[in-house]
Amino acid sequence: MQAWLADIAADFNQSFIAEDRWMMYLSGFTVTIRVAVMALILGVAIGIIIAVIRTSHDSRRKNAKGASVVLLNIADWFCRVYLTVIRGTPMMVQLLIMYFVIFASSRNQILVATLAFGINSGAYVAEIVRSGIQSVDPGQMEAGRSLGLNYRQTMTKIIIPQAIRNILPALGNEMITLLKDTSLVTVIGCRDITKAALNIQGVTYQAFMPLVFVALVYLTCVLILSKLLARLERRMRASDRR
Amino acid sequence: MIDVKNLEKSFGSNHVLRGINEHIYPGEKVVVIGPSGSGKSTFLRCLNLLEEPTGGSITVDGIEITDPKTDIDKMRQRMGMVFQQFNLFENLTVKNNIKLAPVTLKIMSDAEAEKKAMELLTRVGLPDKADAYPSQLSGGQKQRIAIARALAMNPEVMLFDEPTSALDPEMVGEVLELMKELAEEGMTMVVVTHEMGFAREVGTRVLFMDQGVIAEQNNPKDFFENPQHPRLKEFLSKVL
Repeated sequence: MQAWLADIAADFNQSFIAEDRWMMYLSGFTVTIRVAVMALILGVAIGIIIAVIRTSHDSRRKNAKGASVVLLNIADWFCRVYLTVIRGTPMMVQLLIMYFVIFASSRNQILVATLAFGINSGAYVAEIVRSGIQSVDPGQMEAGRSLGLNYRQTMTKIIIPQAIRNILPALGNEMITLLKDTSLVTVIGCRDITKAALNIQGVTYQAFMPLVFVALVYLTCVLILSKLLARLERRMRASDRR
Repeated sequence: MIDVKNLEKSFGSNHVLRGINEHIYPGEKVVVIGPSGSGKSTFLRCLNLLEEPTGGSITVDGIEITDPKTDIDKMRQRMGMVFQQFNLFENLTVKNNIKLAPVTLKIMSDAEAEKKAMELLTRVGLPDKADAYPSQLSGGQKQRIAIARALAMNPEVMLFDEPTSALDPEMVGEVLELMKELAEEGMTMVVVTHEMGFAREVGTRVLFMDQGVIAEQNNPKDFFENPQHPRLKEFLSKVL
C-alpha cells in the first residue's frame, strides 16, 4: 500500500510538478480554447451566411429573373458544393490538407487549425441554422413583408432571432463537438492540451496521469459549457413566456 | 383605388382564381364571402402580392403592383394586413411589434413610434399590455394588437384575412367591434370573413366568390335578402 502510494506520488510529480510541466498543460489549454472559440465564431458566421443564402435561394420567386437571381444561383451552388465536401470528408483529413497542402508555406499551426475547424464547423452550423429558419412559422415572414419590410429586414429582426432560440440546443451540441474535436490538431503539431499530454508522456513514459488528466479537463469544459447553455436557453425561453 | 383586371392564380394544376375583375373605391368596406376553397383568401393575398398572381394585373393608386419593376415593399407600406393566425412577432413585446415597421423603415423616430404605439394601444384598449409578449395574450387581444400593428404604418387600405376565424366565440365580438370603429372612421377595408352579421352591418358591398370567380355582388341589403345566383342561395341557406 505504502509503495503503491509512493508510486502514485512519483507519477504525479513527474507528470505535473517536475520541470514545471503543469505549465505545458496550461499553455496547451489556452491553445485549445483559442482554437475552439475562434473556430466557433468563424463557424457560426459562415453557417449563418450559408443558411441565409440557401433559404433565400429556396424561397425566391419562382419566375424571378435578373442579375441578382443568377448571382444567388451561383452562390447557392457554391454553398452546396461546400456542404457536400466538408460533410463528406473526415475532419482529420481536412486538417491535414489545410496544413500540408493549402497552407504548406505557413508554420502558424494555430491559425491553420482555427481556419480548418471554423470551415468544418460552418458546414454543420449552416444546416442547423437552416433547420432553425425553416422551423419559424412562415406567417412571421408574411407579417413582416406585409408591413413593407424587405426580406433582409424581416430576416434579421424577426426570423433569425426566433431561429436562434429554436436551434440553441443543437448549436450547443455543435460547440461541444467542436471543443473535443480540437484535440485533432495534434496531427499538425499544434501544441494544444492533448499534445502537451503526449509530449509529457514521451519524456516520462507515464501515460496514465497525463491522459486521464487531459480527459478530465475536456470533461470539465464540456460540463461548464452545458450548464451555461442550459442557463441561456432558460433565459431565452423566459423572454417568451414570462 | 385598387383596380384588379383578369386576375388569375394557379398553384400547380390547381386553378384557384379564374379571372377576377374588380375595383375597390376609397372608403369602401368590401366584404368577401364564399365557401372554403373558393379562392377568397387567395384573392385578398394577391392584393398585396403575398401571393403572386399567375395572370392579370393589379393597380393601386395608378401604380401597377404586378409589374416586377414596382417596389412592392413601398406599396405594402400603404396597405395594412391582418391575418387569421395573427402572426404577431413572437420575439418582440407588444409595443415593439407595433414600433418595428415604422422605426425600421425610418418613417418615424423611436420617440414618435413610441408615442404612436401607446396611442394605438389605448385605442385598441390594451395599454397595460405594452410590455407583454404575444404568447401571454388571448386570441382576441392578439388580433387587436395585430390590427394596431398594421395601423401604425398609417395605411390607406386594410386587408383582413378571416380575422375572427381562429378566435374563441366569446372573443369574436371585441375584434369585430374594433373593425367596426375603424370602418366608421372611413378606412378603406377589404374583409374576407364568415361573419355574416358583420358583412350586413358594416359592409358597403358584399362579394360572393365561388370556384375562383366573383359569382355575385351587391349592397348588403339586397345581397342577403334577394340573392340571385343559385350557388349563393344555397350558401346563404346553409350559413344563415
